[in-house]
Amino acid sequence: MRRSLQLLLAVLCLAPIGARADGKVKLTVWGRDLLDGAPDHAYVTALVKNFKAKNPDIELEYVSLGDPGLSDKTKIAMANDTAPDLVQSWGGSVMGGYADAGRLLDVTADLASVPTSAAARLAMSWKGKTYGVAPFFAIAGIFANEGIFKKFDLKVPTTIDELEKVADTLKAKGIQPFACGAKDKWPPLAMYMYLVNRFGGDAFSQAQGRKARFDSDPFVQAAQKYQDWVKKGYFGPKPLGEGYGDAQQQMATGKAAMHITGSWMCGQYSNPKFTDQTLGFYAFPELKGGKGKATDLAGMTDIGFVVTKKAEAKKEAAVRFLKYALSSEAAAVEPGRISSVPGVKAPSRMTGQAADVFGKAQTVQFWWDQDLPPAVTSPLNDTIQTFFLANTTVKASLTKFEALVEENMGAVK
Amino acid sequence: MKTRTKTKLRRAAFVIAFLLPAFAFLAVFLYYPIEETFRLSVMKSSGLGKDVFVGLRNYAKLLQDDDFKAGLWHVLTWAFWSIVIQIPLAFTIAFSLTFYKNKLTGPLRAIYYLANVLPSAITAMIGMLVFSPGYGIINRLAEAFHLTWVTEIDFFGNPSIAFWTVFAVATWAYTGFPIIYLMARMEQIPTEIRDAAELEGVSGWKYARFIVLPMVAYPIRILAVLCTVGSLKLFDLPYLLTKGGPGNATTTLGIILYQQGFINWQYGIAAAIGVVIFVLSLGFTVLQFSASAGKDSYEG
Amino acid sequence: MKADRTSFRAPRFFRHGVSEMLVTAVLIGLALLIVLPMVLPWLFVFKTQLEYAYGPWSLPKHLIVDNFVEAWESIQIGQGLINTFIVCLGAIVCTIPPAAMAGYVFARFKNRYTEIIFYAVMAGYFVPVQMVLVPLYKMSSKLHLIDTLPGLFLPMAAFGIPFWVLIYRSFFRSLPADLVDAARIDGAGEVRTFLSVMLPLAAPATILALILVFIGAWSDYLLSLVLLNDQSKFTIQLRVSQFLNAYGTDRMPRYAAALLISSAPTILLYCVGYRWIIRGTLAGALKE
Repeated sequence: MRRSLQLLLAVLCLAPIGARADGKVKLTVWGRDLLDGAPDHAYVTALVKNFKAKNPDIELEYVSLGDPGLSDKTKIAMANDTAPDLVQSWGGSVMGGYADAGRLLDVTADLASVPTSAAARLAMSWKGKTYGVAPFFAIAGIFANEGIFKKFDLKVPTTIDELEKVADTLKAKGIQPFACGAKDKWPPLAMYMYLVNRFGGDAFSQAQGRKARFDSDPFVQAAQKYQDWVKKGYFGPKPLGEGYGDAQQQMATGKAAMHITGSWMCGQYSNPKFTDQTLGFYAFPELKGGKGKATDLAGMTDIGFVVTKKAEAKKEAAVRFLKYALSSEAAAVEPGRISSVPGVKAPSRMTGQAADVFGKAQTVQFWWDQDLPPAVTSPLNDTIQTFFLANTTVKASLTKFEALVEENMGAVK
Repeated sequence: MKTRTKTKLRRAAFVIAFLLPAFAFLAVFLYYPIEETFRLSVMKSSGLGKDVFVGLRNYAKLLQDDDFKAGLWHVLTWAFWSIVIQIPLAFTIAFSLTFYKNKLTGPLRAIYYLANVLPSAITAMIGMLVFSPGYGIINRLAEAFHLTWVTEIDFFGNPSIAFWTVFAVATWAYTGFPIIYLMARMEQIPTEIRDAAELEGVSGWKYARFIVLPMVAYPIRILAVLCTVGSLKLFDLPYLLTKGGPGNATTTLGIILYQQGFINWQYGIAAAIGVVIFVLSLGFTVLQFSASAGKDSYEG
Repeated sequence: MKADRTSFRAPRFFRHGVSEMLVTAVLIGLALLIVLPMVLPWLFVFKTQLEYAYGPWSLPKHLIVDNFVEAWESIQIGQGLINTFIVCLGAIVCTIPPAAMAGYVFARFKNRYTEIIFYAVMAGYFVPVQMVLVPLYKMSSKLHLIDTLPGLFLPMAAFGIPFWVLIYRSFFRSLPADLVDAARIDGAGEVRTFLSVMLPLAAPATILALILVFIGAWSDYLLSLVLLNDQSKFTIQLRVSQFLNAYGTDRMPRYAAALLISSAPTILLYCVGYRWIIRGTLAGALKE
C-alpha cells in the first residue's frame, strides 16, 4: 500500500516537470487580432492554425487582446516580469524599453539568415540586437479617391503646391479634401511627419539625436502649414470632432477625397463591403525647394512579434515560430498589408501601389511616437493636435514640447 | 457590574466580528497597492528598472504641468456641477415621482435608472451617435430642420464646448442612481406626515422644501460624497469620447494618470496623481461627515 | 400590508388633477430623453456596413442579422457564460454580506475607533483602478491568485465594499432607534437583531446591491484583462472587448451588435430585477 502510494506521488511530482512530459513544448503568444478568419485577421488566423499543424511537438496558445488591451496587459506583465513567450509588437522604442530592462531575448544570430526587408529588420532591433520579426511593414501615404479625381479632372498631386490646388478645387466642389480623425490624437502624426521631412529633410533625426531643437525652423514651418490648411477648411468644418473611424467612413462614402494614413488600411479600403469608392495609394508629395524627397517615407512595423526572456529555455521553438511567421507561405494569406517577406505578391491593386512606393524608399522614418522615449509619447500627439486649433501659436507649442524632450533626453548639444 | 462588562465585551466582540470581513478584504487587496502608490509617488519609476528616489519632485512637476492643472480644474468643476445640477434634478424628479404616485411611477423610475446600468462603452457609443459631426443625430436633425446655428456646433472638437458635451452624456447616464437612492429614502417617510400636510393645506412645493428635504439631507450628503469622489476618479467617459481632448479640454486626473502610467511609462508621476486623488477624496469625505457630526440623531 | 393609501383610494388616474398631469408629462418627456438615444443603435444594427455609412438613420432596407451572427460567433458566449456567472456570484457573496455587516456597525456604534476604521475602509473607494493594477497584480501573484476566477472576484469585492458600506450605513442610520431598543428589550442578541430586524428593513439597499454588484462584475473589463491569462477563463465582457478592440469603431453596425449582445443579460436582469426594487422599497416604507 505504502509502496504504491510512494510510486503514485513520485509520478505526480514528475508530471509537472514534463512541460515536455508528452514531448510538447508550450508557447504562449499574446496578439492583437482575433482568430476568427475575418479578412483583417486572415494572416494571424492562418499563422496559428498552420503553425500548430506543422509543429505537433509545440503546443501553441494564442491569446487575443486587441488594442489597447495588448499594450496595457503587456506593460503590466513586463513590470511584474510575468510576460508570455511571444508578444505581438510594433518594435521601436517601446520594444527598446523592454529590451533595456532585460525582458527580451536576443535572437540576432538565429534570424540573421532569414531574408526580410532592411526596414523591417531595423524596426525590430534595438541597439544592434534583433528581438523579433516584422512580417508586415506599413508606410504612410495618401489614399486618394480616384473616382472623385477623375470626375473633376484632377491628377493625384506630386508636389505640395499641386496638393493645395487640388484641395482648393475639391473644397469648392463641396468635398472635404482631407479626412484625418484628429479627435483620436494620433492620426495627425503621419501628415506632420511628412511635412517636417519635406521642409527640413532629416530634421527629425537631428532633433532626436539632440543636434537640433523641436522648435527649429522645419518643425515650425510644417506646423504653420498644417494650421493654415486646417484654417482653410481642408480638414472639414469640424476636424477635431471626427475620430479615426469617422474619417474612414468619410473616405468610404466619398465625402472626403484624401486620407493620409498608413498602408494597413489597404485591406479595408479595397473591401467592397466597406466602400464602393475606388481608392488608390500614393506617395506623399514633395515640396519645391524643400529638403525632403518623395522617396523619404514614414513607416513602421505593421504586424510584428518579439520574443521575451521567458522563452529562453524554449528558444528553438520560439525561433521556429518567428521564422514561420516570416515565411512567404504564411505571409501570402494576408489580403491587404505590405509584406516585408521577399517574393510575396501584393494581394490587391492598392497594396501593389503601396508596395511600389515602399520599394522605391530611400529612407524610412519610424513613427515618432514609437521612435522617441515613451515619456514624450502622449505629449507629442497632444502637441500636434493643438495645430488644429486656430488660436494656437505653433512655435509656442513646439517650444513647450522641446522643453519636455530636454528633460527626458537632454538638451541640444 | 459583571453583566455590564459582559455586555460591553459581547458588544466589542460583535463589532470586531462584523467589521472583520470588510476590513480583511481591503487589507489584503488594497492596502498594499495604496501603500505602493504613496511609495512610488516619490520615486522616478518606469515600472521596469530601478526606482530612483526623487523626493517631492514629481509633485513639483505636477504643479507646473498645464495638463495636470487642466485635469484638476476639470474634475473639481465636474464635481461642483454634478452636485449642483444632478442632485437638485434628482431630488425634483424623485419627489415628483413619490408625491404624484400613479401607475407610471414604477416604469418611469425603471427607465431613469436604465441609463445608469449600461456599461460605459455603450454610453460612449451612444454619446458619439448623438453628438458626432456629420452623422451624429443632432447634426442630422438640425440639417433636416435647417437650424444652421446648431449644425455649426462642434460638440467634441470645440475646446470650450467639449467639456459640457461629455458632462451632458454623463448626466444622462448617471442621474438615475441619485433618483433611485432618494426615492428609496423618500418612500420611507410615513404617510401620516404627508396626509397631515395635505389636510393643513400645505402646498406641494412647501412640503418638498420644508418637510421632505430635511429628511433626505443625510442621503443628499452621501450623494455629494459619491459625486465628488466619482468626479475625482473620472476616466471612462471622457477618455472614450474624446481621449481628454481636444488638447486637454476634457482631460481628468484619471486620464492623465493612465497616460503617465501606461503610455509614458512614468509610474512615479502617475502615483503622485493617484496620491492627489486619494488625499482630495479623503479630505472631502471627512469634511462632509464631520459637518454632520452634530446631527447624530438616529433619524438622520 | 398597506401601500400608500392615497393611490388606492383614487379611482381616477390623476388624483391630484392638473398639476399632476403637467408634472407627469414632464417626467414622461425626460424618460423619452433617456430612452430615445438608446434606440439609436437599433436603427443601424440590422444594416450592412455600406448601408450604414451612407445612411445611418434611415430605416433599413432589409433586416440582416449578419452583424449579430458575426459578433456572436466571435465572442463565443457559451464559453464565457459560466466564468462570468461564477465571477458575478462570487462578487455578490464577497461584497454584500461584509458591506452590510460593516455598514450596520458604523451606523449603530459611532465612536472614535469605528470612525477611524470607517475611513480606513472608505480609503478603498478613493483609489482609481488604473493606479493599483500593477501592485494588485503583484499581490495576487504572491497569493497564487493570478489566472483564477476567485483571483478576479475577490479584488472586485475589495473595490466594491467601500461603496456599499457607505450605502448600507446610510440606510441603517435612517432606521428609527426605537426598533433596535424594542428588539433588545425582547431579549434578542446583537446578531439576532441584525439578522431578523435590521437586515430585512434594509431590503431596498440589498436589492440595489444585488443588482448593481452583479452588473458591475458582469461589465468589468480592466481587472479581468489584467488578472486573467488563460483564454478558457475569460469572462463574456472580456471576450466582447477582444472583439471590440480587434475591430474598433470603423464598422459601427458590427461594433453596436457586439455591445448590444454583451449588455443584453444585464438589461434583462435589470428588467426582471426592477420589480423587486419596487416591492423592496414599498416594503421599506411599510414599517409604520
